[in-house]
Parts: sequence; C-alpha cells; structure tokens
Amino acid sequence: MRAAQATAKMKGPEIHNNKIVIPSDQELIAKVDEFVETRLRDRNIDDSIIADIAICATEVVNNGIIHGNKDDRSKTVTLEMVFSDGEVTITVTDQGDFFDANHIASPVDDENLMREVGRGIFIVKNLMDQVDIERANGGGTRVILIKKLK
Amino acid sequence: MKLTSREQDGVVILEPKGKIMGGPDATALKESIRDYVNEDKKNVVIDLAEVDWMNSTGLGILISCLKTVKEAEGELKLSNVTDKIKSLLTITKLVTVFDAYDSTDEAIAAAK
Repeated sequence: MRAAQATAKMKGPEIHNNKIVIPSDQELIAKVDEFVETRLRDRNIDDSIIADIAICATEVVNNGIIHGNKDDRSKTVTLEMVFSDGEVTITVTDQGDFFDANHIASPVDDENLMREVGRGIFIVKNLMDQVDIERANGGGTRVILIKKLK
Repeated sequence: MKLTSREQDGVVILEPKGKIMGGPDATALKESIRDYVNEDKKNVVIDLAEVDWMNSTGLGILISCLKTVKEAEGELKLSNVTDKIKSLLTITKLVTVFDAYDSTDEAIAAAK
C-alpha cells in the first residue's frame, strides 16, 4: 500500500545505478533510451549492438507501459541492466496483468503485414540472443533480454 | 525525433531526424502526412538518412503513413534507408511493402 502511494506521486524517472523506474508515460521512453545507451557507451560497445539493445529495451518498456500497465501513470515500469561475462542482461518489469507476448499472431504472415502493431516481440527475439517472458512476482510481466556485447 | 519538411517538384519530402521509438514521435509524422494529404499533396517521400534507428512503433508509423497516402491514391516512397532500418524491414518482411530508393532524388522521381 505504501509502495502504491509512493508510485502514484512519481512524476519522472528515478535512477539508481543501473536501474531506472518510470511511471507509465509514453513520453518518457526517450529517457529510457538515454539511460540504456549511456551505460553501453561507457563500455565501448559497437554502435550496431548498442542500437539493437536500445531498440529492444524501448520496445519492451513500451509494451510494459501500453499493454501491461495500460498507460496507468500510477503504475511503474522498471528496467535493470546487469553486465557479466561479456553480455548484458536487461530485466523489464511492469505492474499490470500478465501479458504473454509469446502467443501473438505472426507479424510476417501476409494477412498481418499491414498491421501497425504486433511486431515488437518478434523484433526483440530476432535481435537479442535470449528472451524470456514470465509472470512477475507482483502479477505483472517480466521480460528478460540477454545480448552478447561482442 | 525532430521533423522537417519541404516540397520539390510537387512532392512532399519529410525529413525525420533522430530515433523513432514511441511517445510524441508517434503522432508527429502521422499528423504531418495527414495534413499534407488533406491539402491534396499526396505524393510523399520520407527521407530516413538522419534516422539512427526505429523500433516497432516507428515501423507502425511508416505503415500508417503508407495507408494514409494509398487511401488518397498517392505515392509514398522511402529514401536513404540506413543499414539498421533496412535490416528491420527485412526481418519483418516490410521490405516487400515499401518502395525504398538509394537517393531522395530517385524517390522523388518515382513519387511524381
């Protein structure tokens, strides 16, 4: 209850080392990109890999804001980066209902090609080395992305 | 993302700059195309030379723009598509949906 009251007052991103927490506001997605890219550039990683990771991080956070938290600003999306053994693990957690993006229609089927939405997780799975989607402890969705940095 | 536009040979050229990832970007490009189409300027080139990358939101915006122009019986062409975006268009098979040209001049000639 105390946590819910705290997040309801949240206006912008809160950053603690390699973790960023944002209220569900699509206008804050650029802040997430800046957070992720800054931490990758500090490690002299190839621009193309940085772009792949930034594309996927913003993709999954957008999903958390829109499909998970339904744009409810009192709910947050948390992104955390962990670097180890030449790879980065990015965990994105929302506070909505569990949304299993593993079971959406294939965006590359002819009948879906002109759809404006529905290709986010497909792109993420193509660009990352590993993607896991699971139910978060609080009932939301947790997406774990792993990408080798070389 | 920043968006500028100009006209050449009766074709509207939209020049987004930066990254297209969602938020306010999502509306700027779509609204700009709608405004031009409403003025009966329905042949459009989107020059992507200065777009570092886009995510699925950006691809969705391009599709929306294509639909708007096609419904008005106009033409939408892409130019200067960067390697990263080319790769996304290939992965998603949208390379079969969009006409892309190496230069804006070629795209303008095709959109006229």
